[in-house]
Amino acid sequence: MSRAATFSSDRVMLALLALVLAVLPFGASGYVLYVVNLLMVFAVLALGMHLVIGETGQFALSHAAFFGIGIYTTGLINNHWQPPFVLSILAGAVLAAAVGWVIGLLALRMRDIYLALATFAFGEAMQWVFLNWESVTNGSNGMRMRPAAIGGLQLVSDLQAYPFVVVIAAFMLWLTVAIARSRLGSAFRAVRESDVAAMAMGVNTRGVKIFAFVLSAAFAGVAGGMYTLFASFIHPESLGFQTTVLVLTMVVVGGLGSVRGAVAGAIIFGLVSELLRQAPSYQEIIYGGILMLFMMFLPKGLASMFTGRAKGEKS
Amino acid sequence: MSIMQTPFLAVNDISVVFGGLKAVNGLSFEVAQGCIHALIGPNGAGKSTTFNCISRFYMPSSGSVTFQGRELTAVAPHRMAALGIARTFQNLELFSELSVLENVLLGTHARGAGSLGQLLRRADRESIEFAEHLLARVGLADARKQPARDLDFGRQKLLELARALAIRPTLLLLDEPAAGLRNREIESLDRLLKELAGRDGITVLLVEHVMQLVMSISDRITVMAFGEKIAEGTPAQVGNDPRVIEAYLGQGAIHV
Repeated sequence: MSRAATFSSDRVMLALLALVLAVLPFGASGYVLYVVNLLMVFAVLALGMHLVIGETGQFALSHAAFFGIGIYTTGLINNHWQPPFVLSILAGAVLAAAVGWVIGLLALRMRDIYLALATFAFGEAMQWVFLNWESVTNGSNGMRMRPAAIGGLQLVSDLQAYPFVVVIAAFMLWLTVAIARSRLGSAFRAVRESDVAAMAMGVNTRGVKIFAFVLSAAFAGVAGGMYTLFASFIHPESLGFQTTVLVLTMVVVGGLGSVRGAVAGAIIFGLVSELLRQAPSYQEIIYGGILMLFMMFLPKGLASMFTGRAKGEKS
Repeated sequence: MSIMQTPFLAVNDISVVFGGLKAVNGLSFEVAQGCIHALIGPNGAGKSTTFNCISRFYMPSSGSVTFQGRELTAVAPHRMAALGIARTFQNLELFSELSVLENVLLGTHARGAGSLGQLLRRADRESIEFAEHLLARVGLADARKQPARDLDFGRQKLLELARALAIRPTLLLLDEPAAGLRNREIESLDRLLKELAGRDGITVLLVEHVMQLVMSISDRITVMAFGEKIAEGTPAQVGNDPRVIEAYLGQGAIHV
């Protein structure tokens, strides 16, 4: 009954989303397309955070750092060599995953608030690296990025970047759903629900946590690569804790543990953040306010409104 | 090779020290294959500590635990399932937000997810059918789609048992399976455990306070008090042992 209902409402929403995305390039202004491109980057960031926090229950808060690694890696490779874009975005994802693996090995010995603090510290450290490794990142002046090249075509506009951004975002969404439905996804959720029981079932809980963290880092790396498709400039200031908190807000407001929630949260909060760009001083207050209201009245997030399980009781 | 047969499960002279307190002191016993073996004793006797040493959640300070001749203290806790050792928990440890079926399916994890390639696939038809078969066996077939947390306590205990059985264990470790159950539920647990040992040949080691169940199903009972073994034998032998009666005095005599 309710399962069938959510299933079909998922299909309807996906179809609607696909329709909007297909029609948009005809008629939408460059600015609108830029915002939509950005929303899709946020969606991939939120999907990555969904895997580690929503599915696996590990509060890792260093998403912006891996996003940054993806942007700088892909951007620098494009600047220097202009290889096929697939290679430069893959390089960003692989480097983010590799750094994630090292950090995961160290940080995922810890849990709860300690894990949150350790990953937060790593995020701050990475921002410092982006700011101060001037020979590579051009430091606090920010770095210009040459347009990416795909099949000999230089992507100089948001419109040109748009179809590639859409395809990558769709692929990452498919990948997230496929992982969630696999035995690995089951193992992620088992670790979230009960570490000791998961272990007794033969789940290598430590390995699974590290793998979830590495996957989320790779997703953030891919999001960074997507960003270089339409952005021509990156400044370390946008790679700090606020960005991690923004993505966290998307995932929580959307509904922890739900893929559709992560996507809905990314769309809504991406828009809110863009609308509030003119008033940065109010931004944080408004995020905080929305987050608090959701915690109080809809702790399972937007997704719970679709599934009819709005009550936040947790046994 | 020694002439003596390797015991199925052997606890050899284990001691567990917490701070200055000796919770278990030089305990040894053997569990024979195909038996239902109960570990009983008054509160604080060290039963649960012993149980946790066997299930690899504690490390004994000294001594060893062997399963079919293999030293268990050197096995990583998450490798126990692959050896055919399953357990349940004293205070339920279900995956409460997950469906009843997904809970049981996770019991097939060790068997069905050996490589990354397998991990990235969905649970196969055979695993799902096996999980459904187990749910039917414990009487939870109608609840397969419900989240585990929606079941009442008695049914949650049955779900934990079904999940443990999904490992296809040869040794089943049960930590107070009857605690909190109603009489009717204890009776069906009684039947089920006898069937698991008798028909499926699963060796069962349980820690239990409900004497009605222990006396009915056990082939052999080990009695502990103050961290040591004070008696061992069949239910009849143990029930008439003066040391056992003495250990239980003040807590109500043992009900046979």
